[in-house]
Amino acid sequence: MLEFMDYIQHAFYDVSRWNYENSYSQLTATARALLDFETPRGLRLNLSSLSSPNFATSYAIGSVGLVDGSLSYLYTSLPLQTTSRSGKIDLHDVIHGYRQIQELRRPEESWMWEVWQGGKRTDKRDSLLYGRLYLPQSTLEALYLRRISPSQQLKLSAVSDGRLRNGGTILALHQYDTGKYSTETLYSTDGGLLGLRGLYNFGPDPREGDIEPPRTEDRFYGRFSAGAEMYYGSLNKSGGVSFGGRFATLPAHKGVPLTATLTLNPLMGNLSTTYAVKAGKNLALCSKFDFNVYSYESEVKLGCELWRMKSRIPKENVRSMAAKLEWRLDPAEENSGPEPEEVAGVLKARVDQNWKIGLLWEGRIKELLFTLGSSIDMKRKDQPLRAIGLEIQYSS
Amino acid sequence: MAFNFNWSPLTADADFYKRAQEMLTTALNKSPKPPIIVDDILVNELNLGSVPPELEILEIGDLAEDRFRGIFKMCYSGDAFLTLKTRVQANPLNTYLFSKPSFTSPQPLAASSGLTIPLQITLSEIKLSAFIILVFSRQKGLTLVFRNDPLESLKVSSTFDSIPFVRDYLQKEIEMQLRTLMMDELPAIIHRLSLRLWCPEYRAKEEEEMAQAVKQEEEEVAVDPFSSPPQDAVDSRGNVLDASEISSLSLDGGSEIHSLFSQKNLLRLATLTDSHRTLSLFTPSIRDAVFRAWAGSSERSDSAGSSTPATPSLLRSNSSLGTSTTYTFSRGSDDGHGHLPSRPSLVSMHSATSGLGLGAGRHSRSHLRKKKTRVVNLRKPKTTDDLVSESGDSETSSAAPASEPIVATHIPEEPEDNIIDPPHSPQRVRFRDSNIEVASPQKARLPSRPSLNLSNVAEQAIVDPIPTIEIPESTVPIFSRERRPSFHSSAYPAEKAPSTYTPAPITSDSAEAGSILSQAWVLKMANEIARRAQDMDSKGTREGFWTQSQDEREDTPPPAYQAAM
Repeated sequence: MLEFMDYIQHAFYDVSRWNYENSYSQLTATARALLDFETPRGLRLNLSSLSSPNFATSYAIGSVGLVDGSLSYLYTSLPLQTTSRSGKIDLHDVIHGYRQIQELRRPEESWMWEVWQGGKRTDKRDSLLYGRLYLPQSTLEALYLRRISPSQQLKLSAVSDGRLRNGGTILALHQYDTGKYSTETLYSTDGGLLGLRGLYNFGPDPREGDIEPPRTEDRFYGRFSAGAEMYYGSLNKSGGVSFGGRFATLPAHKGVPLTATLTLNPLMGNLSTTYAVKAGKNLALCSKFDFNVYSYESEVKLGCELWRMKSRIPKENVRSMAAKLEWRLDPAEENSGPEPEEVAGVLKARVDQNWKIGLLWEGRIKELLFTLGSSIDMKRKDQPLRAIGLEIQYSS
Repeated sequence: MAFNFNWSPLTADADFYKRAQEMLTTALNKSPKPPIIVDDILVNELNLGSVPPELEILEIGDLAEDRFRGIFKMCYSGDAFLTLKTRVQANPLNTYLFSKPSFTSPQPLAASSGLTIPLQITLSEIKLSAFIILVFSRQKGLTLVFRNDPLESLKVSSTFDSIPFVRDYLQKEIEMQLRTLMMDELPAIIHRLSLRLWCPEYRAKEEEEMAQAVKQEEEEVAVDPFSSPPQDAVDSRGNVLDASEISSLSLDGGSEIHSLFSQKNLLRLATLTDSHRTLSLFTPSIRDAVFRAWAGSSERSDSAGSSTPATPSLLRSNSSLGTSTTYTFSRGSDDGHGHLPSRPSLVSMHSATSGLGLGAGRHSRSHLRKKKTRVVNLRKPKTTDDLVSESGDSETSSAAPASEPIVATHIPEEPEDNIIDPPHSPQRVRFRDSNIEVASPQKARLPSRPSLNLSNVAEQAIVDPIPTIEIPESTVPIFSRERRPSFHSSAYPAEKAPSTYTPAPITSDSAEAGSILSQAWVLKMANEIARRAQDMDSKGTREGFWTQSQDEREDTPPPAYQAAM
């Protein structure tokens, strides 16, 4: 489950119309959400609030070992009108499971952002500031996010910690997204790491006009994307390269939605494939297979996600008193489509070839969002339960 | 003097290699490994080679059959080698991301995917050069400490020798790991190995200790401190106490004694010391104990009067240290013994032992397990006469507590006397845990004994090994050649300072030692007889307090009192 501050950050992306998913680093987002979810450890409480549309605070306290906690503050120049009450938040927004790839949006032109007043431009670039202090460790996290233009975004994140070398690190990330393709350049002060990532979407270019869905029921209506990344540590003279491709069906696809990815690390000889299907309305399955051509090491992971919906109680049709007095029936209500279903909870489970099992149950009780998780190692008969944890969030 | 270092028997033992490999494996895996190493480090092969290290003896601080202490300069450039097996992470980006905060992580998609490679590292051509402090004691095992970083150079050859980057990295990492291993882990490994070698019951002891840990605590609480009669009738100021005060004071040393030792053991100890004092050839053997003969070198200075020490206070402390016979037990690796000198007392052997034996029950066990270092002081507590003399009034000797027999014409309590005197039982037994007891309330109570300042002096001597010991020793010609090299170097952290000046142990039973000892006793006896005759003569004429305290009792007041007077 997303933390409140991440939720707010995603809300900022949405409001500023930034396509967060159109990036090479998000190529395997579905598999990560279904297979590499984190199981909580110990008890953790989050108390958050979006006190004004521009300001959010969050306090967390946890009990892993001794009591630790964190304070975080967020300021955004863009007013966020998102739902912040934990009783009202749509669980689909905070629980990431199977990620349905959306149709590419037509990017805004830069002139759309221009605001003129009295012959002068008065528009400002939206930015987000975020800071988080972990208390017993005295670790400070800071984030500065700025939309430079409709197609560009700058992200500066820094960690200050006395235990780190040089007292902390800064990561600068510049993202450029045109819809058809996106590139990212990054620099990290830790080791002087330089990085370059790019993603190219095959198919029609959204800049040339809105894409209209096919009329015929094609066998597969989806999008193929390919990308690559390259890193070079300028101080430690090391680097890394990977290539990847993804095919994912789009919402207009009539059949079973699926996502398949292939990533390749030619330097290390690593090959990884994932395949995820949304088998039902509330069920998603995912599998991952890793193979290393140099060491012949392989790995298999299976995972699933099951959304449990609350059964809807059919509304009783009772004649109103006014209708009874007038000896007539109530006027027929026009049926305004099916009501949005209430999510009772989400069960995520994964298992790998070593019989390590991860379980996660996320849901809502009254006004509280909770995450209950456990990791189990079946190889260890004496003590299979490795970790168990409960995370509770409340926000207003 | 010659030393014989045997290199090959150590290396010939197949079992030794197995054990050493196990211990090295655990030691290597204990410290947090660098992220590049993703598996346990296994010691695959270990060979100490045939070329022994060159040892240069720089200093020998202590030498006996059962213990040794010295500083060596070691140079090694032999053919020993060590083969390690592990698995390493070959992706530098993967190790880069390790232990980095995820908040600023670049979050690569697949560029950080791991590639683990089995790695075999051979360490050879090890060149060492170090100053080694070696402390050996049969009870405490072998302690080896490097004073400087011993590793000069070594050759790391691995599966990745063809890739210079990886080779350099491995060389650097392994040298770093090896340095910490040498400085921190190796002393511990050697100590454990030596304990296993010389103390077969070491392991059993440890297990027993673990099992009894809980029990001990309960039993310790159960000790009744008021169940024994007082041994000394004096308070912390050295004043004589009456009976009621005695009873209130009794919860220090005396009570501890009876709860710690069984009567049987104490009798054996008494027989042992007496056999030493009476030229008896029979020495009872006591398990786990090393008996050292006390040559009585320092106390001579008083009786013979041949030399006048520079400062009287130093002399006092020395003489009193010297007259006590120390039994040192040691368990575990605690350093820093001390012995608390106490005065001879007139309490007869019988009453003492019975008093001590009262509580010889299960409590004694628990204490034996708990305390690591015990110093049994077989010297008798102070006489009541001493108390009197310390309080500055020689005429009030009759006012001493009635519970203790007062012998007015007390024979001076010197080892010389002990040859003639009937054997005295060990009277004062104290446990000393070097770390704990200093701060414990029981320690604070010790000053209530007449030996308050002496014990303080003894502690100073423990902390600082240099002071005051030389003076009296120079006056003893007989044993001078048996003495150790002088103890000037303060490199050793103050280990049982007083007792280290004892000459060769009597347990060796060698003909040489026997002859020297008997010669010493004969000389002593002759000396003593002459001295006593002189004493008897001078007794009538000299009535002064100082002469009395010096002549009649060899036990002089503690330095502080002396200074006050």
